[in-house]
Amino acid sequence: MKWLQSREQRELVEQIKASRVRLHRLAFAWCHDAALADDLAQEALTRGLARLEQLRESARLMSWLFAILNRCWIDHLRALRDDLDDEMLADLPSDLPGPDSHAERQQTVNRVRAAIAALPLGQRQVVTLVDLEDFSYAEVADILAIPIGTVMSRLCRARVSLRELLTEAPVAQRQLRSVK
Amino acid sequence: MNDARDFSDEQLNAFVDNQLGAQECDEILAAIARDVELGQRLCALRSAKELVRHAYGNVPAARRGPHRRLPAWGGALAASVALIVGVLAGWLGHHAATTGEMPRSMAALFTTEPARILIHLDTSQADQMDAALDLAEAYLAKAGNAQVEIIANHRGLELLRRDTTPYAVRITELKSHHARVGFVACGQTIARLQGVGVEVELIPEAAIARTAIEHVAERVQQGWTYLKI
Repeated sequence: MKWLQSREQRELVEQIKASRVRLHRLAFAWCHDAALADDLAQEALTRGLARLEQLRESARLMSWLFAILNRCWIDHLRALRDDLDDEMLADLPSDLPGPDSHAERQQTVNRVRAAIAALPLGQRQVVTLVDLEDFSYAEVADILAIPIGTVMSRLCRARVSLRELLTEAPVAQRQLRSVK
Repeated sequence: MNDARDFSDEQLNAFVDNQLGAQECDEILAAIARDVELGQRLCALRSAKELVRHAYGNVPAARRGPHRRLPAWGGALAASVALIVGVLAGWLGHHAATTGEMPRSMAALFTTEPARILIHLDTSQADQMDAALDLAEAYLAKAGNAQVEIIANHRGLELLRRDTTPYAVRITELKSHHARVGFVACGQTIARLQGVGVEVELIPEAAIARTAIEHVAERVQQGWTYLKI
C-alpha cells in the first residue's frame, strides 16, 4: 500500500480514524439510539469514502463528513416518512423516548440527554454541532445547508428550552449545578 | 453605557461560543463587571453548553448480537482504514474498467495479480442494479482470471431476493459462464427484514455474509479492489 505512505495520506487516515468516534457521538446526540447512531456513522463514512475524490481541501474533512452525516440522517427520516420537506424536518418534534431508564432518570447525563432528545430536530442538530464539535456558526450553516441567522436563532431557542427542561425539578436543578 | 438589555440572546450565545469579534467581546466583558444580571445570563448559557458536552462525553456503543466479531471501535476503525485503501484502489479500478486506461502508478496492482473486484450495491434503483451487473460483466470479460463479487445490503438486497430481483435469469447466466463470480447478501439486512415480518428467500446463487461492512473490510484486507455503486 505504498500510496498511503505520504504524509498527507497518513494524516488523512488518522483524521478518518478519529472521525468514526465523533460521527457516532453526534449521531447518538441526534437520535439517542446507539445502534442507529452506529449505522448512521458507518453510512456517512461509507458515503464519504466512496466520494473521497470530491473532497478538495483535506482541512475541511470533518465538516464535510458531518454534512454527509446530516444527509444520511435526513435520508433515514425521509425513509420513515416521505412527506417531509426541509422546514418540516427542522421542526420535527421529537418522538424519541430519549434515555428514560427509571433507575437512571435522576442522573445528570440522562436528564440532559432527555432534554436534548426533546428538542425539535433542527435545534438539536445546531446545539450539538456547536457544543460537542466546537464548530463556528458559519461552519454549522455550511454543514446543515441553512442560513447563519437560522443557526443563531435555533441555538438561542435550544438553550432557552434546555434551561427550562433542566430546571423543571428543583431537586434535579441542585444536582445539575453541582456538576462542572 | 451598555447594560444587559442592550445585548440580545444571539449576542450572548455568540459570546459563550466564542463567535464574536474582539470589540463586541470587550463590550460584553466590560458590561459584566457592572451588571450582575448579565453575568447570570451568561453563566446560565455557559452551564447549558457545559452540560451538553458532559452528557455526551461517553456515549454507548451500539449493541449488536453477542456474536459480533469485531470489537465496537477497533473493528470499525480497521474497516475505515481498509475502506480508504479500497476506495482509492476501487476508483482507479473503475476508471480502468470504464476507460480502458490506468494511471501508471496503479498499473502494478492489476498486472502482478489477477483482478479481484468487490462491487457494493445498497440501492434497488434499476439503473444501479444494472450498473453493478454491467461492471461485473465488464471485469469478467476483460480478464479471464478476474474474480468478481457483488455484495448487496439495504435496498440493494432486492437484487438477490427471489421475489424482488428483476435479474434472476441474468445472474444465473453470469454464474454459469463464470466460475469466479459471487453474489453475497448482508445477513444484517436479512435479519432486519425478518424482524419486521418480511419473508426473505434468496436466489440460489447468493451466499450470506454476517454484515456487508465486515465483508467489505475483510475483502479489502485480502487485497480486493472495492467499488461502491
